[in-house]
Amino acid sequence: MVESIQHLFTGFGIAATVANLLYCLLGAVAGTLVGILPGLGPIAGIALLIPITFGLSPTSAIIMLCGIYYGAMYGGSTTSILLNVPGETASVITCIDGYQMAQKGKAGPALAICAIGSFTAGTLAIIGMVFLAPPLAQAALAFGPPEYFSLMVCGFIVLSNVTGGSLLKSLMMAVVGLIIGTVGLDPVTGDYRFTFDATYLLGGIEFVAVAIGLFGIAEVLANVDQPLESLEQSVIVPRFRDLFPSLQDLKKSVGAILRGSAIGFGVGLVPGPAPVIATYTSYMTEKRISRHPEDFGKGAIEGVAGPESANNAACQSAFIPLFVLGIPFAPPTAILLGALMIHGVVPGPMMISEHPDVFWGVIASMYIGNFILLLLNLPFVPFFASILRIPKKILLPLVMLFCITGMYTVNNSINDIWLMLLMGVLGYVMRKWAYDAAPLLLALVIGPKMEVAFRQSLMISHGDFGVFIERPFSLVFLVVTFLFLLMPAFRFIIGRFNRRPA
Amino acid sequence: MKKDERIGCGIVFLFGGITALLSLRMPIGTFRMAGSGLFPLCLGILLMLLSLLLLLNRLFAKSSSPRKPEVATPADIAMKQMLLFLGASALATLCLNVLGYPLTAFLLTVMLFRILGIQRPVLLMLVPLLIAAASYLLFIQFLKIPLPRGFIGL
Repeated sequence: MVESIQHLFTGFGIAATVANLLYCLLGAVAGTLVGILPGLGPIAGIALLIPITFGLSPTSAIIMLCGIYYGAMYGGSTTSILLNVPGETASVITCIDGYQMAQKGKAGPALAICAIGSFTAGTLAIIGMVFLAPPLAQAALAFGPPEYFSLMVCGFIVLSNVTGGSLLKSLMMAVVGLIIGTVGLDPVTGDYRFTFDATYLLGGIEFVAVAIGLFGIAEVLANVDQPLESLEQSVIVPRFRDLFPSLQDLKKSVGAILRGSAIGFGVGLVPGPAPVIATYTSYMTEKRISRHPEDFGKGAIEGVAGPESANNAACQSAFIPLFVLGIPFAPPTAILLGALMIHGVVPGPMMISEHPDVFWGVIASMYIGNFILLLLNLPFVPFFASILRIPKKILLPLVMLFCITGMYTVNNSINDIWLMLLMGVLGYVMRKWAYDAAPLLLALVIGPKMEVAFRQSLMISHGDFGVFIERPFSLVFLVVTFLFLLMPAFRFIIGRFNRRPA
Repeated sequence: MKKDERIGCGIVFLFGGITALLSLRMPIGTFRMAGSGLFPLCLGILLMLLSLLLLLNRLFAKSSSPRKPEVATPADIAMKQMLLFLGASALATLCLNVLGYPLTAFLLTVMLFRILGIQRPVLLMLVPLLIAAASYLLFIQFLKIPLPRGFIGL
């Protein structure tokens, strides 16, 4: 424990250099801007801004990208409260009571509680990370290829089950992502696969192009595919003096913030879109234990404080599986994994010992970032919200231009732009047909790792598939996977049982 | 079952089938020593099975639940607008190396503004000019990113 604290102080030394503070600030501001733009969530935000970090050191780059991530999560709440438009999926729950508060002229307290709750939750989650990450990394050293493979399969199934859409469609998209991930060099034998003699495909499919295409371009196209009148919008911008919550609001929120932080931290450690699950769980918990459950949905401040705290805590603790196992359990951390690899840092159990500067620097920067975000969010909310005054008919061409420019800068390649546009069309069609793009992206990033783990497991066991159930950890992951696969059937049976007349 | 669902299933099934076929041209090996084609072959077959399962699932759902009226896709201006928007972006990509970044950025923004219904000449020309100048200064002059210079040489 003492060692962890010493390392954390070293991390603060790294994160508090003028340059890194600046990158953290830039990331937090950019993330907040991205978060408050409806539709552009943390996934698209990180994907769009990865090219900007290419000239930076790995530590500075990851500090900036993490800043964008949690900045976007903060910013997403602003549009949820002001416009009833969630900036990203985790802010959907905030809309329920946050927008009602705004309608009653309490947008200021709602936004302030979001900022305070997120700061508190972020801080508590970072303390948890400092003490939990090193022992988890030690435990992860005992993981072999079968455990990694089973864990990744488990992650896919959990993600596919909780994204809200069809389980079959999500699984199909995950398999499509795995197939796209096989293009290029075979990681084991070195053979070329699905390259069709095209030099461009020898290095595999450019993940940044897929990420920007599926999320950024598809979002732009979905927005353009609307009548011209809907591209105009207006917004209620709160005044500075209306920003602060009363003492009673704060009293009501303290318990919700602490409970939300604990729920979020726990949920962030398990596979799946942690912030989404955490916000739903927190909201349901607050409603269940409230003395006035009837107020929920009509502007209860606990309905904003709890989910927002859970959201932020889950975002922070989701870094633990990313850093110590090298496995992202959610799309934003999958993109961060890609960014880490672009910068030559391979997350995993050895990351803490091999790249202590990156690991502890990023953890310390999260705390600084949280503080910066608190300062940004409280007084500057009216300023950020004023971005929403820019009509979409000006904003969308700008986003498209920025996507094209950003994509070109990755490899100075026009082919990357073509791939991005193609993926944009694919993402647009997938939206129309209700296919979720997140499993595809996640599979593309961890597909090569999964394949290596699968093939190594079979090599170890001389071709015996029993290796996946003979090892205890692997068996546990597979049992969880199986239970999640059966979940739709359970839901169906419970639904039939509940409908049966008494 | 909606026509869109059938088409979607068909495309994914076809994608899985083509993947499996192409994988067979690669060394498959054995489970003990898997070749480069084994993993994609398994994925291709799995994808075909999943898409068939979805198709059956939807067909079954059709017989057990009342038929919902199919939502007519409005073959409307919005779709045309989206296709024009995409076409303009593709055209800009095609011309990027020849025209250079600043000119392409200007022309692309003008086209996209026009497609989205901005008609006032001042807004249509001035804002794209400012955007192109700002992005030129930011990306090429300040960040030193080697974007295409084109025939203008900027």
